[in-house]
Amino acid sequence: MNNEGKFGLIETISIVTIVIVSKILFTSESVVVDFVGTAAWYMTLLSCFTSIIFFLILYILMKRFPGKNLIEIFQLVTGKIVGKLLGFLFALYFLYYAGSNLREFIEMIKAYSYPYTATSLFLVTFIIVTLLLSYKGLENIARISYITLIIFIIGISTILLLALPNANFLYLRPYLGYGVKSTLYYGLLRSSSYDEIIILALIIKSVHGLKNFKIAGLISLGIAGLVSSISLVIYLAIFQHDMGAENLSGMFQISRTIYFNIYFQRLESIFLFTWVITSLVTVSIGFYVSISTYCKTFNIADHRPLLLPFSFLMYIIALKPKDISEIIYTNMAIVREYSGMLLYLVPTLVLIIAFITNKRGVVNNEEKA
Amino acid sequence: MKNAFLKKILTPISYKNIPNVKEFYIPEVNENAEKSKENLEKEISVSGSINDNLNFIKTAFNFENNKDIIIREFKLQNKKDAFIAYLDGMVDRNIINNFILRPLMNDPSSLNTEDSIFERVIETNQAKKLTIQKDVIYGILTGDTAVYLDGKDYYVLCETKGFEKRAVDKPHNEAVIKGSQEAFSENLRTNITLIRKIIKNNNLTTEFLEIGDENRNLCAITYLKGIINPAIVDEVKRRINGIKTDFINGSGMLEQFIEDSPMSIIPTVLSTERPDVVASHIVEGKISIIAEGTPFAIIVPITISALLVSPEDSALRWQYGTLLRIIRIIALFLATLLPGIYIAITTYHQEMIPTELLLAIAIARENVPFPTIVEILLMEFSFELIREAGVRIPGMLGTTIGIIGVLVVGQASVQADLVSPVLIVIIATTGLANYTIPDFSFSTGIRIIRLFFIILGAFLGFYGISIGIVILLSFLVDMKSFGVPFLSISIPKTRKSFNKFIKYPIWKQELRPDEVNPLKLRRQPKVSRRWIQENPKSSYDRKDEDE
Repeated sequence: MNNEGKFGLIETISIVTIVIVSKILFTSESVVVDFVGTAAWYMTLLSCFTSIIFFLILYILMKRFPGKNLIEIFQLVTGKIVGKLLGFLFALYFLYYAGSNLREFIEMIKAYSYPYTATSLFLVTFIIVTLLLSYKGLENIARISYITLIIFIIGISTILLLALPNANFLYLRPYLGYGVKSTLYYGLLRSSSYDEIIILALIIKSVHGLKNFKIAGLISLGIAGLVSSISLVIYLAIFQHDMGAENLSGMFQISRTIYFNIYFQRLESIFLFTWVITSLVTVSIGFYVSISTYCKTFNIADHRPLLLPFSFLMYIIALKPKDISEIIYTNMAIVREYSGMLLYLVPTLVLIIAFITNKRGVVNNEEKA
Repeated sequence: MKNAFLKKILTPISYKNIPNVKEFYIPEVNENAEKSKENLEKEISVSGSINDNLNFIKTAFNFENNKDIIIREFKLQNKKDAFIAYLDGMVDRNIINNFILRPLMNDPSSLNTEDSIFERVIETNQAKKLTIQKDVIYGILTGDTAVYLDGKDYYVLCETKGFEKRAVDKPHNEAVIKGSQEAFSENLRTNITLIRKIIKNNNLTTEFLEIGDENRNLCAITYLKGIINPAIVDEVKRRINGIKTDFINGSGMLEQFIEDSPMSIIPTVLSTERPDVVASHIVEGKISIIAEGTPFAIIVPITISALLVSPEDSALRWQYGTLLRIIRIIALFLATLLPGIYIAITTYHQEMIPTELLLAIAIARENVPFPTIVEILLMEFSFELIREAGVRIPGMLGTTIGIIGVLVVGQASVQADLVSPVLIVIIATTGLANYTIPDFSFSTGIRIIRLFFIILGAFLGFYGISIGIVILLSFLVDMKSFGVPFLSISIPKTRKSFNKFIKYPIWKQELRPDEVNPLKLRRQPKVSRRWIQENPKSSYDRKDEDE
């Protein structure tokens, strides 16, 4: 039984898009530029393309077991114990994802706007909102995601368009960046930046069937790839690859360069609102998906009693890194570079096992309809 | 005598005996008193004896002490005993004298058969036989006159309502420049007539429901059968019938009993004093609820856009209507966020203010001893005081209070260095923006929400305001108005409506709001101005030569 509610295609697209695309507001852009230089803008398209391939593999798996979510499929294919272990790993990963994103956000907001405010104050207020959204459930989060996506698109478009006069597209040269090999390597590795698409497979019962699942996945990946690429093009055109690798937040720096006249300059305020709201929704989605996956793994009907314990765990995860360097080079490296091994390769392996053992789901009439 | 005189002189400086004054107290409630009322609520049939019925009326209305109830005993032509009972002040005495008493006492037909009284003798336009005691009581309470003839097991209830009521007046809270100038009054019947006057449709249906156990008020639900989704009607009736309370006086109290999210700061029903607004919503497939006693109707289900629409919009051309709506939406954001953003910028994000403006603000604030949060709260409080005083103060003094407000809150506070001039501009803009919100409840809700944003902005800057926005959104997306998501302008996605935030030309508004699932979605064909497809009788082709 699905007690998470149902929502339409637009909300489904919004949930996944906002989670994937929000990382352009964080350290992601400068890290990518640091890795591949001026090739960053199409390296991200390569990552997106790789993710689309993995998503289609995931689609084949979901199609084989209609009406089942990913956790149920794990248990059907690999057995109860291994299935539950995989589900538990997924839940753990999303909790780590939410905690790491939370800390990254706090470190950045402290660096840019609130140098004297205590980390714990941000942590507690942020977690309270996350708890509220998760308490209200997936349907609520989906609807807020839709509004947030609109805010995000308006905010980012404004910043990028107004910053265009500062861009010099000659800075995109040399087009091959640090070399094709490096671009290909990081392009494949950074496909993990798009692996939040797996969330769709975990909440498939709320998204009105496989057709919506496929459309939402492809559109989300498409939008995310396009937005990331465009923002990287403009970022590189403004800061070049050497300076671009040193900023903490690319978008924040872009918003700071805006200058039209004395009363129309430095639009960090637009960035701040977009950034905070998007981060709140992203962390909430990660947090909710973690609890939801845990509940699905261990057949827990109501997720609400788990909110407080999980929020405490997220608090611990967020406090664990020593400083921003550790977050960027450890936490974010795991989340944005290596998480694909869990989120992409495990479902692929499960699909292979399902093929070998010839396991498939049963289509009932309701699902056919 | 001498002693008394001496005593009187010494009274101011001597001790007095404390008089033994007994003080009043309210004794414990006698719970048995409730039982007599319960008897009245039971469905007891009317007795066949005049004495029993006289006793019943006298007991029910506390005849000995209650001077409102009038019982007039008389005899018919055939010498049979009869009486009428009514509440003084609630009836039109001319109707009783000329069309009930006179025919009954003088008409010889009563000699033949008393049954003909109902059909032939009583001359009031409405009359009905009642056999249940509590119905008779309710009839008398609503201003009708009960007639009883000895030996009968029924009363004849004659329509004699004639209490004082206010005439139809101009709208006071929802005034418009271009549009109807009629508003509801306190009288239920008048209000329904005002709606019926606009919608001349035989499917316009009015149902009456009783609300409040003690005051037994009437409320009317009005809808257009064949257009409204019947589920909405059922749900409204279910909610109203499910209210168990002693007193409901008007729509303000009723809406609190029936709305979906009573804990929400933002209302989920629309309250209006304008019959034309009610009529336009009814035609869209919504339902109006009017309770006797207040000149307001409730409209359900609604979405947030209904709270931002002024009745004037539909009377204006679409360009003007759209402009006004955009202004109102901007005003909504200003009224909610402006003071919060100001305090956040001046406290935490000074680097975002252009240098010249920053210097101007800093110079203005130089002599102010308070932090910005105190300044803002002080000004907000003063502003609310003026607003509240303006409502309570009699009309003639209204202007005076305005002048005092301007002097005290504006000029004097700035000159006394209590607040900075920039803040006056911020608060004044916020106040004006708040007044542009058409719905009173909504604008009051926005005032409360603004306070939250001020506090969040003061303690956490833009971060706090963003948190506030997400929290507010999370509540808004959950809210429903009789099954319709409150934010259904955007989510969940419904079929495109052409009269939401952007007002399309009236001839392009082809569909009724999809979110209320009306039985007829289309309100006009694709080409509603059919004349554009026809040739005028006197027409010419541009190629024609002048004759």
